[in-house]
Amino acid sequence: MADWRRYLREHWRYFDAALALVVIVGSVAYIYDLLVGSRGLDVAYIVRNYTLYLHAVLTNVYATTIAFLVGMVIGFSVGWLRTARTVALSKFVASMRVEKRERQESPSQSEGARRLLVVLSLLWYGTKYVARRIGDGLVEVIRGTPLYVQILFASSFFIVFLPQYATEGLLIGIIALAINTGGYQAEIFRAGLQTVHSGQIEAARAIGFSRLRAMRHVILPQALRLIIPPLTNEYIGLFKASTFLFVLGVPAEISYIAQHQGFAGDVFEIFAMVTAIFLAITVTLSFVVQALERRFRIPGLGFEQVKRPRGVRIAPAGG
Amino acid sequence: MIRVNDIQKHFGALHVLRGITFEVQKGEAIVIIGPSGSGKSTLLRCINLLVEPDSGQVFIDGVQVNRHGIRHEWVRQQVGMVFQSFNLFTHLTAIDNVTLGLTRVKGMPHDKAVQKARELLARVGLAVKENAYPAELSGGQQQRVAIARALAMDPKAMLFDEPTSALDPEYIREVLDVMTALAREGMTMIVVTHEMGFASNAASRILFMDAGKIVEEGTAEQIFQNPKEDRTRSFVSKILR
Amino acid sequence: METAAAFRLRAAPKLVTGVGVVHLVEMTVAGLLMVFVILPAIFSFSLLSPQFWQIYTRFYVTGLFGTFFYVALALPLSAVIGFLMGWARVSRIRIFAWPSSLYVNVFRGVPPLILVIFASLFGTSLIPQPILDRFLAGFRRGDIAVGIAAIAIGMHSSAYQAEIFRAGFQSVPKGQVEAAQALGLRPWQGMRHVILPQTFRLSLPPLSNEFAALIKDTSILAAISGVDLVAKSRDLLGILPASGLPIVWIFAVWTVVALTYFVITYAVTRGLRLLERKFHTPGLEGISL
Repeated sequence: MADWRRYLREHWRYFDAALALVVIVGSVAYIYDLLVGSRGLDVAYIVRNYTLYLHAVLTNVYATTIAFLVGMVIGFSVGWLRTARTVALSKFVASMRVEKRERQESPSQSEGARRLLVVLSLLWYGTKYVARRIGDGLVEVIRGTPLYVQILFASSFFIVFLPQYATEGLLIGIIALAINTGGYQAEIFRAGLQTVHSGQIEAARAIGFSRLRAMRHVILPQALRLIIPPLTNEYIGLFKASTFLFVLGVPAEISYIAQHQGFAGDVFEIFAMVTAIFLAITVTLSFVVQALERRFRIPGLGFEQVKRPRGVRIAPAGG
Repeated sequence: MIRVNDIQKHFGALHVLRGITFEVQKGEAIVIIGPSGSGKSTLLRCINLLVEPDSGQVFIDGVQVNRHGIRHEWVRQQVGMVFQSFNLFTHLTAIDNVTLGLTRVKGMPHDKAVQKARELLARVGLAVKENAYPAELSGGQQQRVAIARALAMDPKAMLFDEPTSALDPEYIREVLDVMTALAREGMTMIVVTHEMGFASNAASRILFMDAGKIVEEGTAEQIFQNPKEDRTRSFVSKILR
Repeated sequence: METAAAFRLRAAPKLVTGVGVVHLVEMTVAGLLMVFVILPAIFSFSLLSPQFWQIYTRFYVTGLFGTFFYVALALPLSAVIGFLMGWARVSRIRIFAWPSSLYVNVFRGVPPLILVIFASLFGTSLIPQPILDRFLAGFRRGDIAVGIAAIAIGMHSSAYQAEIFRAGFQSVPKGQVEAAQALGLRPWQGMRHVILPQTFRLSLPPLSNEFAALIKDTSILAAISGVDLVAKSRDLLGILPASGLPIVWIFAVWTVVALTYFVITYAVTRGLRLLERKFHTPGLEGISL
């Protein structure tokens, strides 16, 4: 009697895997039945139209890529801006006090020159600070508002100020997407540049690099390795977001086709096609990202501080 | 008190334990030494059933524990364990680490548990740090809290898995002092360690393990000064610089 | 010599930091400047005009309630599903691990807009008829479809949350699980007292970002027949010419909408960050995703 129980326990792994497959296939079959059911899969529709859908996806890819590249330019400049080092207010005040004390102790120095220096440094750091905070603010706004609102904003902009281009859904969409991704990429670039920034420029210059060469040989290589994984993830995210071209009425866009061709009742087939294409692309891109990550990874260097693959299972201890 | 009979363990194709047999009397403190990969940690984990032996028997106080029907939790209350990487619960303070087992496993009311935990923390010399989180403690302090945590369960025996291997040198002494005091008080302990000083001072017997087998057994003088086997001799010569 | 109590007092975290206050002040000043001075100058509108608010308030309030409703529907569900899926993902039991993997990859890979469109077209046919009759008889078909679309947005977010929780689970050092076992704690006790408290603390920072993302994603419902803030504001566009205000005033609407979303997301993320700091235990720094 206890034999089958022991058999089960010893071969648990296989039962486990089999049951898992059953659950997966079962739920997919159930949903299929629910949606398609007795109607039968309209394979003819799929065969007839899949080129249309592939072509539509290309529009998405095209829009995503352009927006991404423009966004990269925006993101890099704003990100760079945001790494401008400024002095904390308290330190500034403290140095002013030191300045004042020195002035009292040795009053032979020129009063005017001193005052000028103070004003200039105030202006310089002040401007840097304001510029940095403006960058921060812009990025926070872009990241804090929904993409849809940004698209509507852009579209309204065109309606009001450039009505001759107001119907160019693709153009408006690309601009809105570019600004959106620019905001997110600014955050990525900032984090990448900052993580490498501190201490490394000093170390490089201590060895003898000039500022520019330090940037080129020390900062940028490291920053690039830090930045590439999140950037590729951002590309995938942007690709998914490009479906919003639908709300701008871009006829070649995939959601547009999905929505407007659906009324022959082939909705499931359409959805299946769209999902399959998107999943294929995103999963492939994810693998590319992981491969890139593995290739470019430097142990110890990364945003994710706690990235150790410790499972919650009990593995046998060695030795 | 603890008896182990012909323990075998495979991990996949790797034959980690190839028939281990030994016995530990009540009140004895034995030390297991050996090269890494010899199966020492696995052996310890077979005793408190964190790892199940493929064959062989483990007896605690005369009761065979590696059989069907024995509750693992009961076994682990009989035998406490201290780990190389301390494994303190990072989200709990020192005193909460110690009281967790008391309240949740032994069902002790909270105030009694706190009182007992305070006594134990004082015993390992950390009364002041009772409200500190593990991240705020040094390695040596963390390990002493781990010892207090294991002692709180009133175990019949204690297992130590390389307790000082992860410590900075300046903290090793304080942990070894606690362990030596424990051995003097008569706690039955099995210690896997590379600290030969501790082995010489506190251990009644030393076991040398290599490649899953016990190669030699004896007192500190025997093993360190007159090892019988060649393997023992080469290992000891590497350790005793 | 320091006592135990004094030690705890000294090491307690500050809730309100100087830097935090400065940022808040900066933001308020910049925000006010932006909203009342700069943008109106560029786009020539004024948020102080009573005429504007006369027409807009109605739309705004309805839309805001709509958004809150969709968030209330989607967010708790997404958190529960996300947690369960994340837990299942780290399980050794493949019946849990594989299906949840599939779920996460599907719902992360499909754009939310497509999920919403699909839900609006198909959603009602996925609900068994008896439930429709019993609980949802009082609602129009269209509304139910939008509700399901909101749930779809929640499911999309739950896929991301599952990954966050999974990382939270995996960030708990596994030696502590062994230690819990060695103490005699039963597996569910170990889960409840050792693993889960740490998982939640570790997951909280990225989770707050994901909640904010969910709130923003409810705007997608405006693309179908939802009644959230964006949809209602877009409706205003239609009646704007008739109201006598020049078309430029649409930017006033978008400014208000953007501001609303910004305030909501800022409040959510900072609020949760404050909560996190209150429960902060040294050594459990959050994972950064």
